[in-house]
Amino acid sequence: METRLGSVLLAALLLSGCGWFHRGDKGPTPIPAEEPQAEPSIIDPQVERRVVKTPKIKAKDFELGAYFGALSVEDFGTNSIYGARAAYHVTEDFFLEAFVARSKAGQSSLEETFPEITVVSNSGRRFTYYDLDVGYNVLPGEIFLGRGRAFNSALYVTLGMGDVKFADKDQFALNFGLGERLLVTDWLALHMDVRDHVFESDLFGVTKNVHNIEATLGLTVFY
Amino acid sequence: MLRLFAFSSLLQALLLPTLLAGSVQAKTSYLELVVTRPYLEMHTGPGRGYPVFYVIGRGETLTVLYSRTDWYRVRAPRGQEGWVRRDELAETDLASGGPAPIPPYPEFGAHRWEIGAGYGVYNRENLVTAYLDYGLTDSLDAELVLQQAFGTIDNRNIVTLGLRNTIIPEWQWFSPTVGLGTGYQTISDKVPPAPLESNNQLAYASIGARGFITRRFMWRFDWRAYYVFNKLNTSEVLEEWKLDLAVFF
Repeated sequence: METRLGSVLLAALLLSGCGWFHRGDKGPTPIPAEEPQAEPSIIDPQVERRVVKTPKIKAKDFELGAYFGALSVEDFGTNSIYGARAAYHVTEDFFLEAFVARSKAGQSSLEETFPEITVVSNSGRRFTYYDLDVGYNVLPGEIFLGRGRAFNSALYVTLGMGDVKFADKDQFALNFGLGERLLVTDWLALHMDVRDHVFESDLFGVTKNVHNIEATLGLTVFY
Repeated sequence: MLRLFAFSSLLQALLLPTLLAGSVQAKTSYLELVVTRPYLEMHTGPGRGYPVFYVIGRGETLTVLYSRTDWYRVRAPRGQEGWVRRDELAETDLASGGPAPIPPYPEFGAHRWEIGAGYGVYNRENLVTAYLDYGLTDSLDAELVLQQAFGTIDNRNIVTLGLRNTIIPEWQWFSPTVGLGTGYQTISDKVPPAPLESNNQLAYASIGARGFITRRFMWRFDWRAYYVFNKLNTSEVLEEWKLDLAVFF
């Protein structure tokens, strides 16, 4: 193992050295030719150049907001959940998104039937997660409300991963989501999302993948 | 459509003063451009499929309000607002002459900032990783990496700071990199007994690659060998690989 580390270090040093030489290979710098002496000008124009400043175009590619809904924790009932989301729209199709949220799980049926059994401690019932996702707008379009109103919208899918903290343990979790974004105005969006957080759990003695599905309603602002 | 505008402007009139009182009062000047092609199409939304609902004629002046990805929200001379494609807007002119100052895409080889996240495996454990990278030169970058590894026995949070050299930065699609750095890991156990040490200093050497995908998108791969400084007499070397997706500025 140590010899491998040594060889990696050596390779790293050698390769960075190569990069250094590659960059240095620029050839001799040309000697600037001597400029002929300009004759002193008779008229010295005193006209001040007008500085025209063109306004910059603001990019509104970020989206920030909050959401609220219901989370079904497998074996532990359904409870309310609230969270925050931030997104960056890279192209009209793709976006990157991050979530943080918290909820509280209920009693499992085992605990309800046998009140003396504790599967998860009281503090461990807190369910929190963060997610890092990639999203794709599958079906962009318009939604019509009556005859005179049209709202831009998009049905999107997200795929990501993150950390779910439940039963006092941090677990690696994958998440799959399907959502609808409806732009009430060009800067205010309404979100409807369904997302599944999948992770491995052995709370009941058997290791299995648990699915924790949430349905949420959110509001975001583009800026 | 008119009713939609009336509705949205009413909503803005109602909501904006309360939400963004300061920013609305601040006077903002917008870029004004003159259409030089026969006409310029305005779409109802910032996407290729949205219908064209208005056309600005040659010689008319439009106001550019803001952009979203490759689309620009513009206001026509008679007040209609809609979205114009980037490459079409780039063909307009400033009122004073000159071409429209539509900023070019950041050049991949010369970008300064990168922010990204990804998946990896650290010591056979699932790893979630996020990083921030600043280009000191075109080939040498400083990077801060935050990672969380999920094991069966313990979880680890790893923070590292390092230097990364892109050997040939001119290569767009696949360019090998090497790196060196140091950092800390904190260990929180899941199953007793508790680990002997709950945090260690680390040093690493890495080999990887990076490449351009599209627009501001890029990918990065890294294989790292960590040397863990511990108080025991045995040396501990851990391996890690990860694949990140990133946005550059």
